[in-house]
Amino acid sequence: MKKLNFLLAAFFGLGLSITHAQVQKGSILIKNATVLTVTKGNLEASDVLVQNGIITQIGKNLTAPAGVISLDATGKYLMPGIIDAHSHVGLDVVNEGSAPITSEIRMKDVVNPTEIGIYRALAGGVTVSHAMHGSANVVGGQNATLKHRWGTLDPGDVIMQEAPRTIKFALGENPTRVHGRGNGIQPRSRMGVEAVIRNGFNEAIQYKKGWETYQLAKNQKGNTTPPPAYSERLQTLADILDGKIIVHCHSYRADEIYMLINVAKDFNIKKLVFQHTNEGFKVAPEIAKYTMGASVFADWWAYKMEVYYSTAYNAAILQKNGAITSINSDSAELIRHLYHEAAKTQRYGGLTDEEALAMITINPAKQLGIEDKVGSIELGKQADLVLFEGHPLSSYAIPQMTFVDGVKYFDKAADKNDQRLQVSATEMVEPIFLRANDEAHRCMQDVDNYFEAFQGAFLKEKH
Amino acid sequence: MKKQFLKAGMLAVMLAGLLTQTVSAQSDPTGKRRVTTTYAITNATVIKAPGDPGSKATILIKDGVILGVGSSLSLPKEAKIIAGDSLFVYPGFIDGAGNMGITKPKDLERPKDFVSSNPADEIAGISPWRSAVDSYTTVNTLVDDWRKEGFTISQVVPDGGMLPGKTALMILGDAKSSPLIRANVSMAANFRSSRGMYPATVAGVMAKFRDIYQNTTGIIEHERLFTFTSGVKRPQATPTQTAMAPVVEKQLPILFTAATELEIRRVLSLQKELGFKLVLTGLETYESVIPLLKTAGTPVLIKLQVPDDKSIKSQKAEGVTEATKAEYARVKEAYNKALTQAAKLEKAGILFGFTTVDGKAGDMQKSIKAMIDNGLTEKGALAALTTNPAAILGISALAGSLEKGKMANLVLTTDTLFNADTQIKHVIADGYVFDYEIKKKSAPAAGKSEAPVEGAIEGLWEYTSETPAGSSGGEIVLKRENGILAGSITYDDPMGSGKVSSPIKNATLAGKKLSFEFDVAAGGMSLTVTISGEISGKTMEGNLSIPQMGAFPVKATLSSPSQAN
Amino acid sequence: MNRILKTFCATLLALLPIVAIAQIDGEFVKPRNGKFLLKNATVVTVTKGTLANTSVLLENGKIAEVGTNLSADGAEVIDCTGLFIYPGIIDGGTRLGLVEVSSVPETVDYSDVGNVTPNMQALTTVNPNSEAIGVTRVSGVTTVLTVPSGGLFPGTAALINLNGYTPDQMYGGFKAVAMTFPSSGRRGRFDRRSDEDIKKDGEKALKEANEIWTNAKNYLELKTSGAQLAYYPEMEQLSKVVSGELALLIEVNAASDIQNAIKWVEGKNIKVIFTGVAEGWRVADEIAKAKIPVVTGPVQELPTRSSDRYDTPYANAGLLAKAGVKVALRTDEEENVRNLPFHAAFAAAYGLGKEEALRAVTINPAEIFGVADQYGSIEAGKRANVLVSTGDPFETRTQLLHVFIDGYRVPMSNRHIRLYQEFLERTPGLKAN
Repeated sequence: MKKLNFLLAAFFGLGLSITHAQVQKGSILIKNATVLTVTKGNLEASDVLVQNGIITQIGKNLTAPAGVISLDATGKYLMPGIIDAHSHVGLDVVNEGSAPITSEIRMKDVVNPTEIGIYRALAGGVTVSHAMHGSANVVGGQNATLKHRWGTLDPGDVIMQEAPRTIKFALGENPTRVHGRGNGIQPRSRMGVEAVIRNGFNEAIQYKKGWETYQLAKNQKGNTTPPPAYSERLQTLADILDGKIIVHCHSYRADEIYMLINVAKDFNIKKLVFQHTNEGFKVAPEIAKYTMGASVFADWWAYKMEVYYSTAYNAAILQKNGAITSINSDSAELIRHLYHEAAKTQRYGGLTDEEALAMITINPAKQLGIEDKVGSIELGKQADLVLFEGHPLSSYAIPQMTFVDGVKYFDKAADKNDQRLQVSATEMVEPIFLRANDEAHRCMQDVDNYFEAFQGAFLKEKH
Repeated sequence: MKKQFLKAGMLAVMLAGLLTQTVSAQSDPTGKRRVTTTYAITNATVIKAPGDPGSKATILIKDGVILGVGSSLSLPKEAKIIAGDSLFVYPGFIDGAGNMGITKPKDLERPKDFVSSNPADEIAGISPWRSAVDSYTTVNTLVDDWRKEGFTISQVVPDGGMLPGKTALMILGDAKSSPLIRANVSMAANFRSSRGMYPATVAGVMAKFRDIYQNTTGIIEHERLFTFTSGVKRPQATPTQTAMAPVVEKQLPILFTAATELEIRRVLSLQKELGFKLVLTGLETYESVIPLLKTAGTPVLIKLQVPDDKSIKSQKAEGVTEATKAEYARVKEAYNKALTQAAKLEKAGILFGFTTVDGKAGDMQKSIKAMIDNGLTEKGALAALTTNPAAILGISALAGSLEKGKMANLVLTTDTLFNADTQIKHVIADGYVFDYEIKKKSAPAAGKSEAPVEGAIEGLWEYTSETPAGSSGGEIVLKRENGILAGSITYDDPMGSGKVSSPIKNATLAGKKLSFEFDVAAGGMSLTVTISGEISGKTMEGNLSIPQMGAFPVKATLSSPSQAN
Repeated sequence: MNRILKTFCATLLALLPIVAIAQIDGEFVKPRNGKFLLKNATVVTVTKGTLANTSVLLENGKIAEVGTNLSADGAEVIDCTGLFIYPGIIDGGTRLGLVEVSSVPETVDYSDVGNVTPNMQALTTVNPNSEAIGVTRVSGVTTVLTVPSGGLFPGTAALINLNGYTPDQMYGGFKAVAMTFPSSGRRGRFDRRSDEDIKKDGEKALKEANEIWTNAKNYLELKTSGAQLAYYPEMEQLSKVVSGELALLIEVNAASDIQNAIKWVEGKNIKVIFTGVAEGWRVADEIAKAKIPVVTGPVQELPTRSSDRYDTPYANAGLLAKAGVKVALRTDEEENVRNLPFHAAFAAAYGLGKEEALRAVTINPAEIFGVADQYGSIEAGKRANVLVSTGDPFETRTQLLHVFIDGYRVPMSNRHIRLYQEFLERTPGLKAN
């Protein structure tokens, strides 16, 4: 009951009892569901016991320990919480588009836990999202892996503290438009994109050497070496070279994907995931061999030249060539039905249920470096779970309940309609968001804002 | 010849000497100079400090200092008596952070080698070496307006970008005297990003802040090494680093502006990471972070305003759906929460004062009364106006309470301070007495029409507009030619080459509402931008609408009214 | 001939996914018309129930016969045992064929300069060779309404079938003038106009619209009385709406705008269809009372208000239908019109129901566009727009095996599929460096 009060308190925005360090963990026994574990097959009429946020038992006819609620899930499907490897939900800022390399930017600084998109994603079964910097820069900021613990006012509560560091790169039309064509700074062409990346890494190597020299010298007697200039930008690039950060690179054309694979090889970067990568299918063997795979759209294409020669069979081709493949949304709208997006791989490529479901669970978990914690229903993993009415890969499926760390954050039957955590005290007329504004796709948000006040209005491209 | 020079010289010396003495020893053909610097407020109910129930006493002040507070003071002959029998005396109010009297710095010309991804600090709004002293003027309507509400001291904050400069404590006294109490009180900081260059967003500002901090720490280390060891490469501290050094060394606190809960959290997390001394200012919505503030021990300055109740008042009782009723309830809840915040701050024992930034002097009484009606104690409210900000600003020895030896800053009211009908009769600041007209309480004028502001709008307006890009601004010239309202406006050229000007068209003035359009051209295309707003006195507030992009708030001040007014 | 085709069908079924039909290396398969007997399927007629073990005969571009034991008599027989036949799916609102790559303005043709351009024709602008057409039709969407957008009267929309080499070959027999109803709502996050300003702007826009309408009325009046009027193409086209000759598609989304639009059309005696209608559920009863048909969508869209329940757009169509409104669905899409069946599935799951959802993409749009005699169901005499699938075409698992448009058997191929065939197993594969 105490947990329920916590939840109620959280819903009313009182967030007082949820401090940064202590994340809410729940216990529950889900009974008699068809359990789609993703990694260990499907279990009919089975139970899953969650204790303190961890899956502790999976089997038949389990009994609930004292104080643990039982949930009758007869006739329903239980799958792991869906993971979206490319999202901008829950961020106040998406693009610091004023420089081509901005690795010092931390998306964790601008997380907004009250953004309604988080709840709407939960209503679509998404428990973890990769809140990314936008695609305006060749090297963007460091991303934040979020857990959708809706109801808190503290950004720290929705950040998955134990997730590894990741960073955003972008190739192709977006950075060349923003910097080269828009502002006269490199890059303006795909040649420039490669040059900017190589320059950045080489500068980082020099930077690292300078600091190593200083560290060795500073405690020596009679040291005359002063500290070098500090640059978190270059330090972050050095961290990438040291394998401490997973690179997630927005890319589309086969040639630029191939370019980055070679750059990665030159600098010994092993942790590389390609995002969107609409032409990834053309270099599927290379992606499979040299990278941590691709995170793609189900069927978006043709809105830019670099996606004009796409195919909806992209995910299927990558999967069949052995690349770790996931399906992402990059959209506050699409994130709400990623289970349906994944199901499209059955129409376009005939993938099996396991393959399709893996694309929104264990595969993105691997790409975010959290596969030991989430992404499948296995003993010892965090209890991020979704209960469905209808098989998740059916177009008619409806998510019923979503759990994060064993705490129920979405309940179709019980939730109030108005889920806003904060309301303006002076609001007279609530703003209406119509499709024409295209609020959903934010990969280039803040870019027109970066331009001079009026210049942005002359910028035609919004995607 | 020599004698003449000598005479002239001696005269000059005498004059100089005279000029440095108190002005009271000179002829004043304007006849405005006061005749004495000594005043005695006799037999008033004196509230020496918050919590003091008040007792009849006489206060003697001279040359801006309180010589005594008591019931049996011997009054010197030159003391001008102010009969306080029906008056209540409070310590003069202290504004924790204000921008009254501050002029916005002129936009810098972009150098030819300007690179927007790596601009010079000054152009990017980073100028921590500047001081509010250099952009403050005592002759300013805002100073008069706030003084009228009882404020006698203000920590004025320079205007600009993310690190606009250092603040200064000013006395809101006589316009001709030098107002500076102390300079370099704190380092102002905020999340204002730059327009069209790095850093362009809040995320960029936070990263840049860290970068400045880290490199200042590094340069201090370098300079230490350079001082004590030979053979070391010469350190090249930038003006930014030199100015930030006292902050890094924890000698100078940062006065960080943060209005919302998320912004407050972001500042607190920066502080936790970097370790600077901090005062938060500009708080607007802060209830959920009160526990955090308590733990961090951060003093705060809350905005002297409450949300306006227009939307609450406009909620219809009849003929609305259940869903709308539920929405009304939520807005009301948010409104109430906003009003009870200050009380919660007090209850949590957090040291807080007020900031006049973004406030309207005329609404001050109403705002504080609303806070008191919603739980803030009168003692707490008075403390927030006096002893608290004194403590936060480190001037408890100088001001905040009525005690012998402190500055002669007093507020004299017709009734107890937070009473609904109280009016301020005198404000004494720096020992200078300011008189105000007491209006007789009469029935409110029924349906009085707004005096048209017709002639009063002509002249030079300075405007700023908050687009998501950051602050932009310029000047608007309005004039009436043959009965037609016309003029021009300057704004930042979208092609990046500084300020350009465009003529105004379709200007209309209806009552208090002004609206006009102007064209912006770039790269062969043209946009028509509309500005519309409401004029009150010498300020205008409204919106700047750009087609396809929406509308952004715009504020303008009539800085040079035309002579014809 | 029949036996070869039979084995081929069997191979097709075994070889999921989609494979091109009878292709020699490099040969291009063209659309073919002729006589086709789709034998022994489950036929979902939409209007006359679902018929098991039934055959459909297509000839001369029409559905010739629907029944059991139909004779083959010179027709190409396609054995559809275990398969399903549905009417070709209709999308009630798209920009298909009017744009190729939306970020390249040279390829964007659905919007022109000027607030009043009803004379501009979508039909002639349609690019019959747009890549998106081939991508769309293999999903079973055979017919779409393609609509200009932009100003107050952005142009004249047209119904097109997704087969043909000229717009005239594609033309589906229905045109309507589009209108963007003046909006009185806030335009989103950055619109910070005061409430009074918003109201004023809305009133101003409506006043302007009324002036233009009055102008069109005058034009019609004078023309009808025999006057020789100076060339005025905009009014010439609008007068056709005033007279009732052409229908008016009013794009309107916010609840208060819908109410204003209902008031606006009152007494005008014109053929009106509301499109968009995102907040229709808020005023469903009023729309039903006014007997105005609705083309709504996209279903997979974000709620219009932050305070809205999360599934409001999914449930919108269902709530409208429940109130008695005639509902057709649209994607409002440019290159992903192929997702209409999935949008319909969402609408079905969240309240519209499977049966009504199917009607909303077949017979309903046909009736709303006044072409129900030719489209929207499997009945003898209607156009031969049908699809043959392994199951419910709204389900992603289902494979579509054949699509017929205007009696043409269209190749189940497009660039997406060709790329799949080329790159599934690329040769050379991974070249060792």
